[in-house]
Amino acid sequence: MKRILFVLILFCVLIAPAAAQSTVDLTTVRTYLIENVTELRSQASALEATAADYYMLAEAAGFDYAALWETHRDVTAGALNASRDAWMIASPLYEQVEGIVAGVPSLSEYDVILDAGVSGEEDPENGVPFDLTLRDGRILERPGNLFGVLESTLWGTRPEYSSGVEADLNGDGEIGFGDVLPDAYVLRAAAETMHNYTDDLVESAAAWEPNVTDAFTALVVMTPTMSEYFAAWRDSRFVSGEASTQAEFVVISRLADVEDILGGLLVVYDGLSPLVSEVDAAQDTQIREGLLNLQAYVADLLEEETSGRTFTPEEADLYGSEAQSRAQAITGQIAQVAALAGVELPE
Amino acid sequence: MRYGRLCCKALWLPLREFRPSNRFSRPDADATLAVAALRRGAVEPETVTSAVQADLYDTYQGQLLAALADADSAHANGFALRQAEEAGRAAGYFEILADAYAAQRSDQALAEMRAEFARLVESSISADDAAFSAARTAIDTALGSFRAAPLTDEELARRAGQLMRYIALVPVEYARGVRDGVVTSPIEIQEAITFHEGASAAFADLRPTLSAFDAATADRAAVLLTEARTQIDATADPSAVQTSINDLTAALTTLIPSEWLTVGSASDIDVIVSILDGVVTSAAAGDYAAAESARLEAYAMLELGIEQRLRGFAPDMAVQIEALFWQGTESQPGLSVLLTTDAPITQVRSTVSALTSAFADASLILGSAGSTPAAVVTNAAIIVFREGLEAVLILASLVASLRTAEQRRFRRPLITGAILAFAATAVTWWVASGLLTILLPLGEKLEAIVSLIAIGVLLLITNWFFHKSYWTGWMANFHSRKQRLVGGVIAVSIGQTVGLILLGFTSIYREGFETVLFLQSLVLEAGTGIVLQGVALGLLGTSIVGVITFALQVRLPYKKMLIVTGVFIGVVLLTMVGNTVHVMQSVGWLPITPIQGLYLPFWLGQWFGVFATWQGIILQFTAGAFVIGSYFLAERQTKSRRQPRAAKTTVNAA
Repeated sequence: MKRILFVLILFCVLIAPAAAQSTVDLTTVRTYLIENVTELRSQASALEATAADYYMLAEAAGFDYAALWETHRDVTAGALNASRDAWMIASPLYEQVEGIVAGVPSLSEYDVILDAGVSGEEDPENGVPFDLTLRDGRILERPGNLFGVLESTLWGTRPEYSSGVEADLNGDGEIGFGDVLPDAYVLRAAAETMHNYTDDLVESAAAWEPNVTDAFTALVVMTPTMSEYFAAWRDSRFVSGEASTQAEFVVISRLADVEDILGGLLVVYDGLSPLVSEVDAAQDTQIREGLLNLQAYVADLLEEETSGRTFTPEEADLYGSEAQSRAQAITGQIAQVAALAGVELPE
Repeated sequence: MRYGRLCCKALWLPLREFRPSNRFSRPDADATLAVAALRRGAVEPETVTSAVQADLYDTYQGQLLAALADADSAHANGFALRQAEEAGRAAGYFEILADAYAAQRSDQALAEMRAEFARLVESSISADDAAFSAARTAIDTALGSFRAAPLTDEELARRAGQLMRYIALVPVEYARGVRDGVVTSPIEIQEAITFHEGASAAFADLRPTLSAFDAATADRAAVLLTEARTQIDATADPSAVQTSINDLTAALTTLIPSEWLTVGSASDIDVIVSILDGVVTSAAAGDYAAAESARLEAYAMLELGIEQRLRGFAPDMAVQIEALFWQGTESQPGLSVLLTTDAPITQVRSTVSALTSAFADASLILGSAGSTPAAVVTNAAIIVFREGLEAVLILASLVASLRTAEQRRFRRPLITGAILAFAATAVTWWVASGLLTILLPLGEKLEAIVSLIAIGVLLLITNWFFHKSYWTGWMANFHSRKQRLVGGVIAVSIGQTVGLILLGFTSIYREGFETVLFLQSLVLEAGTGIVLQGVALGLLGTSIVGVITFALQVRLPYKKMLIVTGVFIGVVLLTMVGNTVHVMQSVGWLPITPIQGLYLPFWLGQWFGVFATWQGIILQFTAGAFVIGSYFLAERQTKSRRQPRAAKTTVNAA
């Protein structure tokens, strides 16, 4: 009898934790991440190839950009527009997983490198860790995140990354925003570096073993960042127009980025939902609805903007405040559930 | 909760507001966990009520500060609508906290604050910039030392600790910055003022509680605190400030319950590092006033605790840590500067990280300033070998003197006694270790006491070593005892057997007892495992000598071996003196006076206990002088004994 009792107790001790863990299946989060970053790598590869095409055209012209535009207008515009297209596809792909990459400690360094890090000059301690070595020997020391460098190079918002030669790249017959030839050296080096890092990211994502702590951390780190994104939106060309001095976020509205980020966070929450439901079913419903409503709120604003409405900076500030308030309420609830589930969140 | 309707309480929690969070800071879950504990029956409803109340007050105060910051931002950007909205929100949050504000300050203070919030809202609506700025300044000043959540006993104790530390530092910093009525170092004066402000904030938090204990004394403490500040502002004589602070300390000591001032068991560095974590948390939440308060607390702990030790044992590190707390170094901005300017959290985090790393290094230096494990193993091995060698020689001498066939029978009880002494030594070790375990709560003080005993033992050994009479006299004593026992008797009586066993036992146990006593000091310094490694090495050496002496019957150069090991023991003695002085300085039994300009390599401390403090160097020198003096004294005594004998011989010859 005693032996049977002992075996039963042993069975319970061994099986109970496994049963608790079995309610959380985060493989969908990992699959989602890997699919997105793999596609991101393809676009980074395409960007690298078209940047190389542009570089070779410039090289053939002896880096005389005026002569290049004069003699090879169509092929030059083709290479640059292809680079811009690749960037436009790559950026949202990253935003859709930024919540996971930035929130998971083992991957968060890639967020600094690819999308969030400022230059070493702006923040010597936490700026991006890499330099860009150009083929003419110049070194751009810790220039800032790669999406930002590429965006400002491709659309000419940083004079130091531009050739200064105007060119009607979109073929509308006018010289407007972004109609300038980039510095081929900068474009190629940044595109190559981007491809290398996305390669590494795919590898790291494949090696990542998702766990409950990582998933909760991703949610509590990224959800209450609405005010950051809305402030960037408020100060961008989309809201401030020509008064904006921002070199980044000039071609894709920050609202679209927020919507993508929240989409990624919803994928993460789906993985955690069964565990949260076990702790408190009502709170599970409330968190999910909170995230969906917040995403819908941002999507409505984006739709209005896409339909032609130009928000004033004050309106952007007001909507940002509301979004942040909602995000904080959701974050608070997620933190409570994590504590009740015994998950310690790193500060 | 008051009516026991826990289901409703649990339903309410998901609807509540939370403290503003961002990428770096997380909302607390204290109230949620408390309610969950109540549902399990693990805590009393009163405890949970106060936890929920504290959490909510904290939340609303966080929301109030966030609304004020947003109003400022809107004002700076010229967003009138947003400014009015946030000003109204701030006024609303303050109303939630109004009762707590009135309870801590007064109804009059509450009325004034309400007026300021009304001015804030009105000036926002009417776009009156000057009135808005004036209202903001007044609100910031009033809220600077206000904390809505009631203080728990733990927090009251923490504030009391802060208060006593801060006021102790005020006259210290002030005296460094003033000479003959003139400010000679403005930075020191600023530090004195900063500590005074920290003390005032802590006192403001404690005052309602202290007034409940004894209102008159609490009022007197408030007057003395103000008086000290007035003296500082008037560049008064440092002795006057010291007198005010002494009076204030005396008043507070009678007011504050003694258990609030009991120092926790965690080491200074652990506490400082945990307080620095609080700096980051507060700054991440945008509460720079709380971050500055935590910085000050950490610095006070450093200044009153380990700083003097650091100055003695790692002066470079002391300077670096001081700079990181205040103005910064060439490569790293100082924490004080960062918090005063509301610097980005990344910069605050970076400097705190540099400080944490410096404290980790400091901990290594202060913690391991005794000896390296290899040094401890070597010292233990030397002692065991030396004492083992003496034991072997005594035993060999006694055994060898029992040469005849009849006398050989006496060897067995003699050796039995020696084996018993060995076992008794092991028992002594066990008892000593048990005793030390009981006394371990004494911490470093125990190490200091045992080290002093060990030094006494070592001084005795070295002194005896130089007095030849010790060795010869000791041996002669054994031999005469043996002679009395053996006599000319052929049959071995029981009494003789016991006597011979005792002779073998005492001749060996004396060495064993000395060794155990000495080794306990090393055990406290480096742990049993490391010391036992040295013991094993020493025993190995002793065993080799024993086998050569007893089994192979080979005569070794014992005298030379005793001299060499004796010199080694002298070195061990000096190391032990250096380390003991260090421990005594650590527990405050000896002052620390750094030798300015002397930078000794770290290994000198770790291997030989040599640190750049006057106390350590002077006492090591004194111990060395004692040993050498003892040698010359012994030599002189030997000569003076020989001279009369020689004179006597000459007279007889004549």
